[in-house]
Amino acid sequence: MTTPDANGTPAIAVEGLWQVFGNDARARLKEARGRTGSAPEAAEELKQQGLIPAVQDAGFEVREGELFVIMGLSGSGKSTMVRCISRLVEPTAGSVLIDGEDILAASPKRLIELRRRKLGMVFQHFGLFPHMTVAENVAFPLKMLGKSRAERRARAFEVLDMVGLDGREDSYPRQLSGGQKQRVGIARSLAVNPDIWFLDEPFSALDPLIRRQLQDEFLKIQSGLRKTIVFITHDITEALKLADRIAIMRDGRIVQIGTPAEIVLKPVDNYVREFSKDVARGRHACLDSVIQTEGPLPEMPDDPKLRIDMTLDDALAACMSCYENVPVYDRDGKMAGYVHPKELADALTVDSE
Amino acid sequence: MTDQTAPPATALPYLTPGTRAALASLLVAAICLALEGRADWLWEWPDAWTLPVTDWISQGLGWLFDLIRPVVRVISTLLRYPMDWVNVALVQTPWPLIIGATVALGWYAGGLSLALLSAIGLGFVLASGYWVEGMNTLALVFVSVPLALILGLFIGIWANESPRARPWIEATLDLMQTVPTFAYLTPLLLLFGFGPVVGLIASAIYAAPPMARNTLLGLQRVEAEVKEAGIMAGATRRQQLALVEIPAASTQIMIGVNQSLMAALSMVIIAAVIGGFDDIGWEVLLTMRQANFGQSFLAGLVIVAFAIIIDRISARMATNRDRHDLRISWIILAASAALAVYAWAALPAASDIALLAPTVEAVDGALTQFTRATGATLDSIKNTAMFYGLLPLRIGLDGAVLPFTWGFSWTATMSWVLLGGGAALGLAVALTGRVAFGASLPVMAVVLETGVADLPWPFVLFGVGAVAWVAGGWKLTRLALVLLALILVSGLWERALLSLYLCGAAVIACAVLGGLLGLLSAVSNIAWAIIRPICDMLQTIPLFVFLIPVLMFFQIGEFSAFLAIILYAIVPMIRYTRHGLVTTPPELLEAAVAAGATKTQIMRDVRAPFAAPTILLGLNQTILYAFAMLVITALIGTTGLGQSIYLALGQADVGLGIAAGAAMAILALISDRIVQGFAEERRRALGL
Repeated sequence: MTTPDANGTPAIAVEGLWQVFGNDARARLKEARGRTGSAPEAAEELKQQGLIPAVQDAGFEVREGELFVIMGLSGSGKSTMVRCISRLVEPTAGSVLIDGEDILAASPKRLIELRRRKLGMVFQHFGLFPHMTVAENVAFPLKMLGKSRAERRARAFEVLDMVGLDGREDSYPRQLSGGQKQRVGIARSLAVNPDIWFLDEPFSALDPLIRRQLQDEFLKIQSGLRKTIVFITHDITEALKLADRIAIMRDGRIVQIGTPAEIVLKPVDNYVREFSKDVARGRHACLDSVIQTEGPLPEMPDDPKLRIDMTLDDALAACMSCYENVPVYDRDGKMAGYVHPKELADALTVDSE
Repeated sequence: MTDQTAPPATALPYLTPGTRAALASLLVAAICLALEGRADWLWEWPDAWTLPVTDWISQGLGWLFDLIRPVVRVISTLLRYPMDWVNVALVQTPWPLIIGATVALGWYAGGLSLALLSAIGLGFVLASGYWVEGMNTLALVFVSVPLALILGLFIGIWANESPRARPWIEATLDLMQTVPTFAYLTPLLLLFGFGPVVGLIASAIYAAPPMARNTLLGLQRVEAEVKEAGIMAGATRRQQLALVEIPAASTQIMIGVNQSLMAALSMVIIAAVIGGFDDIGWEVLLTMRQANFGQSFLAGLVIVAFAIIIDRISARMATNRDRHDLRISWIILAASAALAVYAWAALPAASDIALLAPTVEAVDGALTQFTRATGATLDSIKNTAMFYGLLPLRIGLDGAVLPFTWGFSWTATMSWVLLGGGAALGLAVALTGRVAFGASLPVMAVVLETGVADLPWPFVLFGVGAVAWVAGGWKLTRLALVLLALILVSGLWERALLSLYLCGAAVIACAVLGGLLGLLSAVSNIAWAIIRPICDMLQTIPLFVFLIPVLMFFQIGEFSAFLAIILYAIVPMIRYTRHGLVTTPPELLEAAVAAGATKTQIMRDVRAPFAAPTILLGLNQTILYAFAMLVITALIGTTGLGQSIYLALGQADVGLGIAAGAAMAILALISDRIVQGFAEERRRALGL
């Protein structure tokens, strides 16, 4: 599922990012890092000094058009992380490159420019301006860009139509339901058509039915727009459903980055395993995560016509009566590798204790 | 008294802070008593130890004022223009138009009810014959309020933008709201000279803090995500403030406007004591001095009418965004304009209308008759309260018990019996385990015997220090002692004790009475339905007006002042007590019911403890209200700091005015911190 990056520069590159809350955090972080060898030790030392290391030595890259999910429990630092990347809070140390530009070194003026044209953000509790109508809310970023009133209104209607909220343009936020409010939030964040889209737990405040509905619509919108997305959630099901890749955070550290299949099938530790315990692995992992491509081809008497993008569940169902290796084909029908049905079954049960 | 209940000898290290404080105070009281007659300096602060603080302030400020007076005079001249314009506009505009405009605004903000309220209220003002005086007062309010609002908005934004300046600004705002209203006037009088500009400036200064406070509060309460959404849209800091944060905080800011309006109105009326301006406050004062109570009552009601209209319309605009049909407002306005034009000649001038003059006479007559008929009863109420309540508290039983009032005279033996009885009772209570309460009983006996105003200063310092220590630790003790010492050395100590006594007596009465009324309101909806509008009303009325009814029945004197303070200061006690009692979380009540508790048990064991922090906050408000009113009651003859402030105003003695004002603020501040400390402790104990 991972596509190689075309132009080589990642859309977002985060390296050695620290966010420490407390007095004199910068100097004390430097000191702690100088004294101790590893990041966890430094963090431990800072904690003992009464500081709060909310993000510790985080590093990852997000490719252009990728939907990158950061998942963790509350207090794991995921919301702080997205605020560091958007520089809503000033990171204590590290670097954040957006399209190769160091956003932490950007001047206030440049930062405003970036936010006006390039970045969009959706908030957990919507962050709608209570004194503006729906249309005015959506048009606000355009106003900051200096667009004319007519232009703003036209574009606002356009985006509101895209999120399925036409007809409510002149309502006030307090007159809307939670789901409708977040549609406004999404529309507002898309109004200037930004390249990079931050979503901070956008669906967490909604009830389950509305949540699923908005997730589906979100995927539909994204399939048309192909934005580079950093999506924060605490819900593993949501992460697995939406993500191209997932970073799992715990206590301020990223513990694993991988595709949904990798997270489900090869958790690095018990913490990650605990998350995916109740997830039906077969539904989230595809054959590409288990196939063998190396070595000489074994004998394969059966051919249940497995395709590389089949989920493990479907594949297993297709080769119920096979006991030898079976071939796996890619999208174009060429043979991509092979898999043994037993390995398939093992992959689904590998972690059950 | 068995061995079982006696505290074990090793209990000393385990004494609670309250016990330790009570025991220490008791010890100091005993020492002071033992040295009575032998060490006069203990009982009375020697004059030789007093520093001429008031003179220093006078000289310092005199020098400063001479320096800035030219600038100030320019400001004063400049301010006269808008003031005159607004005044001319309000007085010269035909009254149907002003009533029409107010009714139209009332309709727009709150529909029929507020339109009717405006019509009735202003109709009453017109009928009272005080239209012109009323407009003069409003003119001052309408010039001072915009100044206050701009000033307050600016200060609020500044405090929000600069975290470093914020604590200083907040402390200054605190101070400005505890300094008594009269104290503002003396320095302003010296700077600006006699005339309405003083009232204008005083009210602008007095009305700015609520605006600043609410602006800051509103800005701080804007949801973090709303702020972030503005930032992420690429707003500059200015755009962010003007387009996102201030509009999002508008409800709170409008509440600030409401409070600012009410403060300005209150201050403008108080400023009438300076005189020189034909406004409604002056009218009240004048008629009050002439003992012309019917007229005074009428003028007071005019102020109340203004206060209610201004308050209700601005409060509705702050808290409710729904507006009523503007077209009807225009129709009302057009109709009143038509009436004004059409009947230009036919309508009487506002100053010629005195529809209520007969009513006033009738009221006066009825009042005279009433006081004549019930004079003996009223007198006996007053005398009983004075002789058996207030006076002993003030100068102690040893001074208050006289053959003329009590039927016998106080003897040294009686003192010993009282003190001994207090000690014995205290010991008995202490032996049941409530040591702190037990130790404070003899202390109370000492206070009762000596009287608050005659207490030896080391005992007061020590007692306050001990209570402060229990409430807020050493830091608060230090603050309280340093501030009290300032009062001591400035030579205002005796007056401060007098103020403390009257205020304390009123607060105790408010606490008992208000607590009971609050309890009643909590258990009975009918009671609350009656008490609530009265509370609303009492909180809208400017301080000054409270003096009228008490004067009507009890004449000038301390008892009238005592009643006026209670009338004003009881409201928060009632409100907070009820609020605390009715907001017990439902799970707690369900748990208590499930455990089989009766209603009384629930009230005593669940609701009351849960309400304690809230009730303490109510008490705190009551204390601050009492201090605020205490100064105003100087007008009807109280002694103490309030009197000094009022006298200083008359003599333009800025040193005394400021020193006494500061002493009053100090007393208010210390009580505030101590009660807050206890409330905080209760809240922590409840895990809130």
